[in-house]
Amino acid sequence: MTELAQNLIDALALGSLYALIALGVTLVYSVMDMMNFAHGEFIMLSAYALYVLAGAPFGIALGGALITGVLIALAAELVAFRPVRKADMSAQLVTSLAVATILQNAVMAAVDARPKSVATPTFVSETTTVGSLSVPNLEFVTLGLTAFVLVGLGWLLYRTRAGLAMRAAAENFDMARLLGVRADRVIALSFAISGALAAIVGVLIVMQTGQVSPTMGLTPVLVGFVAVTIGGFGRMLGAVIGGLFLGAASSLLGAYLPADLLPFRDAIVFSLPVAILIFKPRGLLGAATGEARV
Amino acid sequence: MSAVRLRSRPSLAVSVLAPLVLIALTVSVGASGTPSLRGTVTTILCEMIIVLGLQVFIGNSGVYSFGQLGFASAGAYAAALLTLPAAFVALQTPGLPNWIADAQLGTVGSTAVVAVACGALAAVVGLPLMRTSTLAIPISTFAFLVVSYNVIANWDRVTGGSGGLVSIPRTTGVVSAGLWAAAAVAVALAYKWSTRGYRLQATREDEIAARSLGIGVTGERLVAFALSGMLCGVGGALAVHQSGVLAPTTFYFVASVTTLTMMVAGGARSVFGAVLGTIAVASVNEVLRGVEGGGQILGLVSIGDTPGLAAIGVGLILLATMIALPNGLTGGREAGELPWLGRLLGRRRTADRAVPRVDPPIGGEKEGAVERAPAGEADALHATGVAVAFGGLRVLRGVDLTLRPGEALGLIGPNGAGKTTLVNVLSGFLRPDAGAVELDGVDVSGRSPSRLARAGLSRTFQGALPFPQLSCLESVAVGAMGVGVRRARAVAIAVDVLDRLGLSERASHPAGSLPPAEQRLLGVARALATRPRYLLLDEPAAGLTETEGEELVAILRGVLDGFGCGILLIEHEMSVVMSLCPGIQVLDDGVTLRIGAPAEIQADPSVIEAYLGRSYLEATNA
Amino acid sequence: MLELRGARVAYRGVEVVHGVDLRISPGEVVGMVGPNGAGKSSVLRAICGLLRLSAGEVLLDGRKLNGMAPERIAKLGVALVPEGRQVFRTLTVTENLRLGAWDAEEGESAIERALERFPILRERADEHADRLSGGEQQQLAIARALLGRPRLLILDEPSLGLAPKTIDAIYELLGELREEGTTMLLVEQNAVRTIDFCDRCLVLSSGVVRARGKREELRGDSGLVRAYLGGRAELQTSNGGVGR
Repeated sequence: MTELAQNLIDALALGSLYALIALGVTLVYSVMDMMNFAHGEFIMLSAYALYVLAGAPFGIALGGALITGVLIALAAELVAFRPVRKADMSAQLVTSLAVATILQNAVMAAVDARPKSVATPTFVSETTTVGSLSVPNLEFVTLGLTAFVLVGLGWLLYRTRAGLAMRAAAENFDMARLLGVRADRVIALSFAISGALAAIVGVLIVMQTGQVSPTMGLTPVLVGFVAVTIGGFGRMLGAVIGGLFLGAASSLLGAYLPADLLPFRDAIVFSLPVAILIFKPRGLLGAATGEARV
Repeated sequence: MSAVRLRSRPSLAVSVLAPLVLIALTVSVGASGTPSLRGTVTTILCEMIIVLGLQVFIGNSGVYSFGQLGFASAGAYAAALLTLPAAFVALQTPGLPNWIADAQLGTVGSTAVVAVACGALAAVVGLPLMRTSTLAIPISTFAFLVVSYNVIANWDRVTGGSGGLVSIPRTTGVVSAGLWAAAAVAVALAYKWSTRGYRLQATREDEIAARSLGIGVTGERLVAFALSGMLCGVGGALAVHQSGVLAPTTFYFVASVTTLTMMVAGGARSVFGAVLGTIAVASVNEVLRGVEGGGQILGLVSIGDTPGLAAIGVGLILLATMIALPNGLTGGREAGELPWLGRLLGRRRTADRAVPRVDPPIGGEKEGAVERAPAGEADALHATGVAVAFGGLRVLRGVDLTLRPGEALGLIGPNGAGKTTLVNVLSGFLRPDAGAVELDGVDVSGRSPSRLARAGLSRTFQGALPFPQLSCLESVAVGAMGVGVRRARAVAIAVDVLDRLGLSERASHPAGSLPPAEQRLLGVARALATRPRYLLLDEPAAGLTETEGEELVAILRGVLDGFGCGILLIEHEMSVVMSLCPGIQVLDDGVTLRIGAPAEIQADPSVIEAYLGRSYLEATNA
Repeated sequence: MLELRGARVAYRGVEVVHGVDLRISPGEVVGMVGPNGAGKSSVLRAICGLLRLSAGEVLLDGRKLNGMAPERIAKLGVALVPEGRQVFRTLTVTENLRLGAWDAEEGESAIERALERFPILRERADEHADRLSGGEQQQLAIARALLGRPRLLILDEPSLGLAPKTIDAIYELLGELREEGTTMLLVEQNAVRTIDFCDRCLVLSSGVVRARGKREELRGDSGLVRAYLGGRAELQTSNGGVGR
């Protein structure tokens, strides 16, 4: 019983992390109809900010990571994604793949191809005992941050003028512009938020693994893509559900899979969504912007 | 085989020869160089086969797959295990089943086995993946890439795990790689110009229109996916026989981006582009890789060990291509279609030549894949009680409709009456909330548009939905191919239909370059090429001038007589409806207001009120 | 106020509007009629900045709008009520109106006034717009456009897909707006009604202006209208006696 509860908390924590990734991916998708491959690199670069600022007080390092995530996202939008804004979804996807490749290898060239270890505050590596459970503090941090982000995002989208513009642009970009909503600002804002979410995820991953590497963004971006796909493209709630599902599946498989199958955990986790898509080709909640109707 | 072809002989010859000449040049550069250059060129040729594999699927379907390198990896491992000397097998992969471990195939034998195995693997993997949407395919194939990497890297006892394999026989030479690459070009071109290839290209150009012509999108994608997996597997197998070593990362993320860049830089729709792009990007890549390991540029600037430089270069090429040259170096055209190559060879553009006329009349012909039974009593397209609601809005509220072969029925009504919705239900694009549709006595409710098209029901759309990159002749021929007609016959049908609709002059023009009115007419031609028994036309005369409208009526009358099909005509242009249709059905607010002869309809005040609004009556009264 | 000079518009690489001239003075109501596919919507989209002119120019009070972003043109006082209404279906009625008053200074009080004018919208202020009927959505689209205090109101097929009774109500509203001096450009397929309603009309067909003139001139010239509007005009003339 205790073990089950323990596993469920682990599952919820990993699911929350994955939900944060998926939210970052879906936010850009909903406004711009672009699946952003470079989101993984936004995560990776934010994590490297922690590595670079290793000597500084942890608060400053955190701020640096956040600023890095936001700035990289804004720069990528300005330089690479703005010129292909009117191109079709596949072309945008490939463009973002190019950006991801450039960023990833730039870090490889500038720092090192090998992973670098990053010291993290001891607090996060300790555990807190709750009843008969001992929960890693990092899981509390993850759950707390996710709750904070969900509430904050909800407030932003449903209670502010900028949020109204984003929701309007997500539904009908041209019409929003015809009413005076500035396209550049809305898109930049969605990238900035997406970059901030990537930074939070980057920090959490570093705290969990204690290291950074140029390819560390690959698995997260796949997680984000798959979560968004099974949740239904462009749906915030779908992204959260998709992320929770993937994280929980991964965590529980890690706990219950027989030892000789354990190495294939990721393979199983990423094969599961295909099973979902066979029965629900448009995702669990259905895509918000479907293919063109007759 | 009729005398009419989809492309002229010179154009065809240039398209086939140009990539082969490029390959021959590449081989000769490699063969005359140092052993290290020889190895590099051989690797590039193997990469080219993989890029051609990507082109077969991505170029023809327009859907990106990021998973094809997974098949290259599978092919490479299979080839390595099939050819590895027994002693090395026991050392590196103790868990390998004996029958594989004992297999000692030669390069050709193992490559052939790999081709079949990878084609089969891609078919199995593609079966679920191709069912998902155009946007989900790139993501699920990316997931497949990661899954396959994960399996290979962790299945130590069979694959050697993350350490990889060594001492694989190095049997691929530069000449044999060139020959395999030439064969891959032949496969890619043959597929592109085959019936199936054209069907898939139609889905790339417009998925909805393609479905209305009988083309099953999932099936066509699956065929290309399997063929692509086969080519990628062969490329991987040959590459591993060049390098002699193999690791899980050999065909992973970097290789995926590199090969994708090669295809995109050359122009994804073009086989020639795949060849050209591979050579161009590989050349840049090699230079950068030379710098990467440290050294000097022109003896001036010293550069230290910089990993990732080549990949940055590839990323920059990909980015620059997407922004500045999205159709690649070739613009997506084959060599024979390139104006500059034509000029270079002193030939005038073959594309401007009009297509010669042939006259196998379509109406009375006996041959062909689609045989239709003679009209019987029960033959009719019959809808009963069709109801559709979008959200709370009830668009159709129980509509009946009967259309018989050889008969023209006009469907009119004010905007928003539900006419197009009814056509969407009849043609299978929309599942009604209630009611049934019968085709020649068979209940076809819920059947897909492509199945209905093959059963003899075709339609056009309000938007013309052209296939912009296909020529008019190709566009119409695809209509016939969609319902299973073989290529030569499909071309003959297309020539005939274009002739009847007065579009012969346009045969070789890209469909996207036509003015809107002609695009609409082309849509009718395309639907007619499926030789339907029931043809649903959604506002074919929209945007036509009065004279053009009269010509259309004449054409449709010819269709009624010559093809014997029933026509359901939605039209705003009353003159068109009145002069073509002996019967007219009026829809208003989702119900049938009236069915009758044109004169009756014209005289019915309720129709006039529905159609023009009460104010019209008041205005004329005043 | 608004002037088009030799405007040419290409859509997906094909030119669909071949040189259109148009001039609208303040307070004027100008109609543009023509069959489906004549290029009417393309002209409107070009004015609003959603499509680029391939040649010619659009001027608003002498200021060139070519190449300007749609949001800037909106700010200069051009409002569009688009074909198919295009209200934000996932947003509430109030949120739709708030977007209409995006650049307005006294946003909330303007919305209050709009709700007074359109009582049905007040009743359903907190409902999502996709719960509204077609006529209500059209009212919302017009209210939304008016909130930007436009100097020029452009309406693209406001009667499309609406029941005759609802169309009458919409036209009653447009009549009120005309009385208030709103400058309007009205595009419709329904030629008869538009020609009756507007001060002046253009007849567009295959991307070219075939005729233009005042109400009386166009109405008298039935042959011309018939040539370019085809059947509907024919139905009108051949059945002219039915109602009498």
